[in-house]
Amino acid sequence: MNQNRDFYAGLLATAFFAIVLFVLIPIYVKVPSFIPGFAPPPDMWPRVVAIIGLVMGVLAVILAFPKMREASRNQVTSLGTRIMSHKTLIVRFAAVLVVFAAFVIGMPIVGFVPATIVMLGVLFIMTGNFERKFWMIGLTVIFPVLLYLLFTEVTHTPFPEGTLFF
Amino acid sequence: MWNELLYAFEAVATLPNFLAMFAGIWGGVIIGAIPGMTGTMAVTLALPFTFYLPPVTSILLLVALYKGSTYGGSISAILIKTPGTASAACTVLDGYPLARAGKGGKALNMALVSSCIGDFISNISLFFLAMPLAMFALRVGPPEFFMLMAFSLTIVASISGRSLVLGIISACLGLLLATVGEDIYGSYRFALSEDMKSGLGMVPVLIGLFALPELIKMVVFRPEENNAALKLGDNRLTLSEFRGSIKSICRGSLIGVILGAIPGIGPSTAAFFSYSEARRTSKNGDKFGEGELEGVAASESANNGACGATMIPLMALGVPGDVITGVMLGAFMIHGLTPGPLLFQNNIGEVYALFIGILFSSVFLFIAGKVTANAFTKISRIPQTLLLPCILILCVYGIYSIGASPFDVTVLLVMGVVGFIMMLLNIPAAPFLIAFILGPMFEDNMRRSLAISRGDLGVFFQSWISWGFFVLTVLFVTLTIRREWKKWREKRAAATASAS
Repeated sequence: MNQNRDFYAGLLATAFFAIVLFVLIPIYVKVPSFIPGFAPPPDMWPRVVAIIGLVMGVLAVILAFPKMREASRNQVTSLGTRIMSHKTLIVRFAAVLVVFAAFVIGMPIVGFVPATIVMLGVLFIMTGNFERKFWMIGLTVIFPVLLYLLFTEVTHTPFPEGTLFF
Repeated sequence: MWNELLYAFEAVATLPNFLAMFAGIWGGVIIGAIPGMTGTMAVTLALPFTFYLPPVTSILLLVALYKGSTYGGSISAILIKTPGTASAACTVLDGYPLARAGKGGKALNMALVSSCIGDFISNISLFFLAMPLAMFALRVGPPEFFMLMAFSLTIVASISGRSLVLGIISACLGLLLATVGEDIYGSYRFALSEDMKSGLGMVPVLIGLFALPELIKMVVFRPEENNAALKLGDNRLTLSEFRGSIKSICRGSLIGVILGAIPGIGPSTAAFFSYSEARRTSKNGDKFGEGELEGVAASESANNGACGATMIPLMALGVPGDVITGVMLGAFMIHGLTPGPLLFQNNIGEVYALFIGILFSSVFLFIAGKVTANAFTKISRIPQTLLLPCILILCVYGIYSIGASPFDVTVLLVMGVVGFIMMLLNIPAAPFLIAFILGPMFEDNMRRSLAISRGDLGVFFQSWISWGFFVLTVLFVTLTIRREWKKWREKRAAATASAS
């Protein structure tokens, strides 16, 4: 298990830092035409970090190979097999991503308080434990409203009221 | 001098001053314990009220808020794996595993005791060493800062856990995310959207990385034992446990005092530095990160040790050591006190009164800590299926209130997902955090030094302070490589033996 994880971690890191180094830095780190004195350019440090990250990612993959070979003598698990065997978990994780994305997109539309109420309610449902239904329902409504009152009264935070209603 | 001290004592020992300190400490502990609410926020919010108070009372109130919030951050760090403040991030590493093992009360007691000792030593230092330490801090320029940061970054090796390579990957990710936004010369980096031009906030990143993965894990895996609330178990901190950590407490307090006195470093760095030193020197070093009381003691003594010390450059030189003391500088000015050498000439009575009042605050911190921690421990009895979603909502409100920015909330949620993926892949989160905090200081000082020296690398080796940190860095890197090499050879030998 750990051998596979190290391999995937290395692979992911290699891909990420390669994208940063060869795609993101050339596009999103602009070097100004004039730099005062002998100051190093703004892309120097991100490049150094991305190169180190890339090297470490490759190293993690290389170091994981012998361990994986050793482990595969007993049990062969391909990435496809692993995904299929964890289908439910992957669906749940995707659902979390959808909830978070919906909150970020929906909050300016429906308002901060309704959006947090909906997110809290959905998260309670997603925990799959319904032993304390009344607590869940009560908290879903009361907790965000209490927090809203606390933060508006104490810190005078202007929470978005939502374009849908105003 | 003694007459002035006696007069100052009389001036401090009044009911309004004691009330202000007690309210400040207690309020600070509560605010610090709420994820997303920072000490800076507490001090800033209290600033308008100080207009109506005498100078000494108002400064004592602000100092008390600062100290209280620094300790308060450890309560949520230990009980719900959510550092209330950045300086408590290091406390999570051992505090939360201790709480999971049913020793949450013990961890809280250790955090309180070490915070109070750190705070007391820091106050004594402020009293006696204000001038000499401020003179030392004046000699620390960008090259020395750079070397200090380089040494601090070697901490990554000791908090990487099982794999140093994965630890370095995590640190690189932290360093990279720290570069998002405007650099010291006004160039924008990785500004994929307008909001990203001001960079990623430390608090959303920190809370997202530490608090949210637990919630996502619970939703995705739905563990059988998700009703198993953290039990406080044995609350008492025994004398032998305290004795076992005393070295780390004293060392952490001194590290806090020294790093706190250097402007720009602050309690977070002091906590990580102290933790790393404790791990390197402790006989239980290999158990750090799994729930070691000494780890909690090391980080808490250092972050509270830095609190009083950040007042040293403020009072002696008029240089704020961090954001909070920057706000306090404003408070001094509001009341007609100008921090700097002249303060010691023109307002020596107020200076002594502040010193004495700040000494008293350690006692108040202990009392408030005891009371508040006991109230907060009730959180651990709430089932996690109810608690974790509520923590997310609390974090969302707290984060939004910092800058009224929906972007910060997005960062919080995205970092939660990143943290969960890192958790799945066994990539440690602690190196990310330390790199994210230290990265900007490391880079800024490197670029400043090179700009000053016109690209000459010799600038990093011009003072004994730089040399000292350079030697320490090389020594530690060498020791780490040696340790990893030995580990690799042992594993290889074991694998060969099992194959044959």
